[in-house]
Amino acid sequence: MNWKKETDEIARRRELAHEQGGADAIAKHHSKGRLTIRERIEKLLDPGSFEEVGPSAGAANHDENGELISFDPANFVLGFGKVEGRRIIIGGEDFTMKGGSPSPSGLRKSVYAEELAVQYKLPLVRLHEGSGGSVGGTGGKSPSLPGPVNAPARFRSVAQAMATVPVATAALGAVAGLPAGRLVASHFSVMSKATAQILTAGPAVVARAMGEKKTKEELGGWKVHTKNGTVDNGAEDEAECLFEIRRFLSFMPDNIGQLAPVIGCDDPVERTDEALLDIVPRDRRRAFDMRRIIQSVFDQTSFFEMGAGYGRSQITGLARLNGQPVGVWANNCKFLAGSMTADGAHKARRFMELCETFSLPIISLVDEPGFMIGSQAEREATIRHGTSAVLTAAMTTVPWASVMIRRSFGVAQAAHYGPEGFVLAWPSAESGPLPVEGGVAIAFQREIAAAPDPEARRRELEEELAARQSPFPRAEALGVHDLIDPRQTRLELCRWVDRVQSLLPALLGPTRFTIRP
Amino acid sequence: MIKIELETGGSVWQVLTKPGDRVEAGDTLFILEVMKMEVPYEAPVAGEVAAVHIAEGDSVEEGQLAAEVSD
Repeated sequence: MNWKKETDEIARRRELAHEQGGADAIAKHHSKGRLTIRERIEKLLDPGSFEEVGPSAGAANHDENGELISFDPANFVLGFGKVEGRRIIIGGEDFTMKGGSPSPSGLRKSVYAEELAVQYKLPLVRLHEGSGGSVGGTGGKSPSLPGPVNAPARFRSVAQAMATVPVATAALGAVAGLPAGRLVASHFSVMSKATAQILTAGPAVVARAMGEKKTKEELGGWKVHTKNGTVDNGAEDEAECLFEIRRFLSFMPDNIGQLAPVIGCDDPVERTDEALLDIVPRDRRRAFDMRRIIQSVFDQTSFFEMGAGYGRSQITGLARLNGQPVGVWANNCKFLAGSMTADGAHKARRFMELCETFSLPIISLVDEPGFMIGSQAEREATIRHGTSAVLTAAMTTVPWASVMIRRSFGVAQAAHYGPEGFVLAWPSAESGPLPVEGGVAIAFQREIAAAPDPEARRRELEEELAARQSPFPRAEALGVHDLIDPRQTRLELCRWVDRVQSLLPALLGPTRFTIRP
Repeated sequence: MIKIELETGGSVWQVLTKPGDRVEAGDTLFILEVMKMEVPYEAPVAGEVAAVHIAEGDSVEEGQLAAEVSD
């Protein structure tokens, strides 16, 4: 007598678990251009590295002889895996079963994902497709009892995961309700433009409750959610979403107790770029492409932009300097002259909190004319959101280097300089409480009106004031650490990164705030 | 055919090219005025300007098709 009958059943259940929702459901899923959760996991991870957690969880049906008839696996797949040789926790809903709406075992596994990540202190990746609780409950053979009142608060582990390890998520199909909440409880989120929608509730519920008849795509497609801060990025399709998650992880440590991985770099630190000498036009009204400066200064091809579609006057992302991961923040003068808007401030605040959580030095390329003005800006509570960004900067403890590229004005400029930061200025830097045009128009309005040629007098005054805003006096007074030739920016920043290495270990560990999604 | 769509709204300050012109990558095709800034739009590749859909003084919107360049 041995245990072969049971071990045969274990093997059989494993086989059945891999059938997921069945061949038809899988084929239907594929026909809509989407991969199953097991295929997605395989695609993301290093080959053969997936070690599943709880593969036997699910619901079995036996006949009257006790023979196994069928086995429905939990509709959340969870496990350990490796990305570029580094271990992570990975999980995601199985949409081929109940549309991802959790079965009892599915729910248990999904909640476990965060707890495993916090326990093992490993990065967490969640690949989302599915809806949350259904009116019919989680199903199962007997009506489920509500959980006990003394169970730990459900979302505490979600918050703890964000406070402890890098969390990256993707929306790869329709994501509604609870999965949508967990999608955005991450440091980096990306949605597939081809296949994903994000919804607090789907069209049927919306039509019933609001009388609004919209499709999933109209309510929650990429055109909505890549522009409002719901997700950081929109990638063309599933494969590109997974690629972006791998890229994001490459800048991150495993957890807050470790430094981000410094990689080898064959882009010389002394590399200069002649184009930086004239990239900022002498004509102060002419815009330039800040992203070209970013591409030039940081390690070639290392820049990974986050949130490009949202708060577009600010550019945020991750990059490397001589192999060291850093946070990058810059103004985009092609959009509203680079002026900080409410959504730009929100994006910047989340960016600073990400860098603070994982002890990444921040580099800020400054061309800030000040908070956005006008009635729309007022309606958006720009000063409240903007001041939140300013105070967040003031409370950071990571090393900052700020390079004054062009404008630095108003209260908004303060957000771009961290405490005890290293400050360099380009010759094109201009700064003060107000840009020259606005300042002159107000301060000298009577003199201008009284002049024989008001237009000419105004221009004269603007030029006088602009001359006083030249960076040379600032450098002379040690108002900046140095005034530099723009072509030397990379070298200066690489040297700075080397100098601040000794500051980083003391920053490891929990931040003083719990990150707010 | 490369479509040049506007990244932001604003007004058209200068149009520096017309259909039939040969352009190099980086040549300025037109300049918008946005929030008192002149925002240049450049040819992304070398080629011939196939169409220009905007005129000086126009008020324009984000996403609007402004010009087309055939490479």
